[in-house]
Amino acid sequence: MRPLSALVAVVGLALAILGAGLGRPAWAREPESPDAALASLLEAARTGDANRCSSPLADRLIRVLCNGQIRIGVRDYYPLFATRTGDLREGYEVDVARALAAKLGVAVDFLRVNAASRIPLLAEDRIDLVIATMGHNTQRDGQVRFIRPHYYRSETIVVGPKRLAVSGWKDIAGRTVCVTIGNGSNAALVSHDVRLLLFDEAGVLPERLKDGTCLLAAQDDSFFAEAFTHPDFADRFALKFGFAQVPWGMAVERTGSEKLARALDLISQIFHRDGVFLDIARQHRIATGFLEEQQKVWSSAACNTATGSSDPGCILPALDAELEPTRFAGAVAAFERWFSAITGIELSLPMLTTVPAWSLLLGGIVNTLILIGGALLATLFFALGIGAALSSTMGPLRWLARSIVVILQSSPIVLTLVVASAVAHALFPFSATVALGTAIAALGLANGSNAGQAIGEATLTLRQERAAGAHAGGAVFARAVSRSATQIVAFLINAAKGTPIASFIGAPELLSALTDITSFSSGRATTYTLLLIFYTLVVMLVVAVCRRLQATLESGRTAT
Amino acid sequence: MIALLGHLWSDFMPLLLEGMTVNFEIAGIAIGLGLVAGLVLAIARWRGGVVGAGAASAITLMRAAPTFVVMFFLLNALPKTVSLSGVMAVALSLLPYSAAFVADAGLDALRHMRSGSSLAALQFLPNVMRAFFVLVMSSSAGAAIGVGEGITAILHQAEQLPALGDRLILFAIGVASFGIPLQLAFVLLRALQRRLGLLLASRQTAQVK
Repeated sequence: MRPLSALVAVVGLALAILGAGLGRPAWAREPESPDAALASLLEAARTGDANRCSSPLADRLIRVLCNGQIRIGVRDYYPLFATRTGDLREGYEVDVARALAAKLGVAVDFLRVNAASRIPLLAEDRIDLVIATMGHNTQRDGQVRFIRPHYYRSETIVVGPKRLAVSGWKDIAGRTVCVTIGNGSNAALVSHDVRLLLFDEAGVLPERLKDGTCLLAAQDDSFFAEAFTHPDFADRFALKFGFAQVPWGMAVERTGSEKLARALDLISQIFHRDGVFLDIARQHRIATGFLEEQQKVWSSAACNTATGSSDPGCILPALDAELEPTRFAGAVAAFERWFSAITGIELSLPMLTTVPAWSLLLGGIVNTLILIGGALLATLFFALGIGAALSSTMGPLRWLARSIVVILQSSPIVLTLVVASAVAHALFPFSATVALGTAIAALGLANGSNAGQAIGEATLTLRQERAAGAHAGGAVFARAVSRSATQIVAFLINAAKGTPIASFIGAPELLSALTDITSFSSGRATTYTLLLIFYTLVVMLVVAVCRRLQATLESGRTAT
Repeated sequence: MIALLGHLWSDFMPLLLEGMTVNFEIAGIAIGLGLVAGLVLAIARWRGGVVGAGAASAITLMRAAPTFVVMFFLLNALPKTVSLSGVMAVALSLLPYSAAFVADAGLDALRHMRSGSSLAALQFLPNVMRAFFVLVMSSSAGAAIGVGEGITAILHQAEQLPALGDRLILFAIGVASFGIPLQLAFVLLRALQRRLGLLLASRQTAQVK
């Protein structure tokens, strides 16, 4: 071949290759591109041994391609993401499923799943893939193989009335927030001194906001997305702030799905890069901030490679949802099993199995004992103080004390606590110590005023008796305290019984601690039963101690 | 301040009064159930024996059970098949107190009746009325579980008042709203008890003569 002819041939071949490649973007032409890797993976799965379709060991990708159909588990009612009306399925996840199936060149067979069934149905091989609002956390990593990159990300948002000035954690410490039991973000709320009002189902939260039961509610932004499409809701309520971001992952069975998972990883990369996920999200009017970020990531040269989906610099980590177990968690689990086997009663002791729960429990018990001791002392202190004022010969002081007694008697204890809390928060920033101190003062005042009134009335009768010459006199006040011992003891017991109500203003006593524990774990029935037993026993102990005090006071009366 | 009072009077007071009817409703249910359970326990104690001892133990436990904890127990520990409304949960949480109170007062009344002092036994009625008003005040615990009673109305209104001074005015209105009927009831109770006392005294005087 002449040099000129050879040059023409080389240039011609180069132009031919260039011409063939011009119809595709540059990245798709790279040998290490996800597109090329996906094409070769699918090609390999479609060809090969004729028996591959019937082999029980065949990867699910081969079975899907052989059957010409992929079975995808989606939710039936999760507004904007996956809903079903008759045979019509709609939503972001439904359209993502259709786009994936189209990319694989197969039909899609939808099956209904819910939060409880989505992982078992994969394990039972009744579905090939699940796309069902599933947050990717470290606990689930052991149960299914998550597809990377993630197809969506949600976060927990706090929603409240527009007029309410709340913009971050500092504004909700000490407030009550409505949440659903078992929500993974409850622990974060608890750690910021938020009081929780628990509901079984998220579906009731918008209604509870509207009817005023809840001032604030926290739930996935994906959940509230639908509520905000309603003008009456959007006019009244607003997103205050978000936290606890969780990436959502499609998932396949851990075994026998390696190639299917790999193909879906590559398709997800391509869908992010090409804006397929973003377009579908826009069609369904869901939040797109995460998808816009991801498009930038997967369009970058560093991530737009065949190995991008396993590059820690490109993909997002799973949410770490594992709670550190206590040293004795194993023994507790063994005890729970033994107890259930013996009695047939399902026993769950979540407060003993994880370090955060155990810590909350211990703190709750200590704070409860401080609260009870403090409330008893405060009741006694205010009883003697108000009793002395009511017994005073100074008219103005007596009238002041009488007014205080009437006001405190007229106020329900919850309102007394709220007023005390409002005053305390005006003077000090919210803290557990301030809440405990406030509760002790309020319980002491409410019960001490009643006991003080009894002392005042006893003083009056003693003076009347002295005036009538019925007895020789002596220290009237001491005798009045002795005479009103029964009333004092009754209100001391009442103060001890009233301590759990301190949780209403954020005092971290045992009821509050156990409510927090059950908000992110199971075993509500056991927990609240143990709580009732604990408080009943503590009050009975206080009754026994108070009876001794009463006997001492009454013996003083006998002596005088 | 005048503007605030005008706003509270026109917008808040109807909500507060509506909420307070729920407090009275809860107290009504609690005292009604308490009368049934308490009188059964009182009769059991009066008869004595094993049943009487059992009733005495039950009353001791009921006295010691904190209302607030019982309320959370009812909401969380009952089987899912038992669905309680917020109002019923609060009313039932007050039942141990009301039943124990009625049992004690009922036992006293039975003893007075046995001794022939039926007028002294009638003190049972003002005592039950007093318990009813204690229950009205205690029903405010429902605010913790979102029951739309009087305190809930006050707290919702307070959220809209950022200034402490305005809130304290609101709380004062709340205290007065609960306090006025309560103090009036106590005045009536004292009058009733005085009347019963006078009747008792005049009958005793007649018997002596």
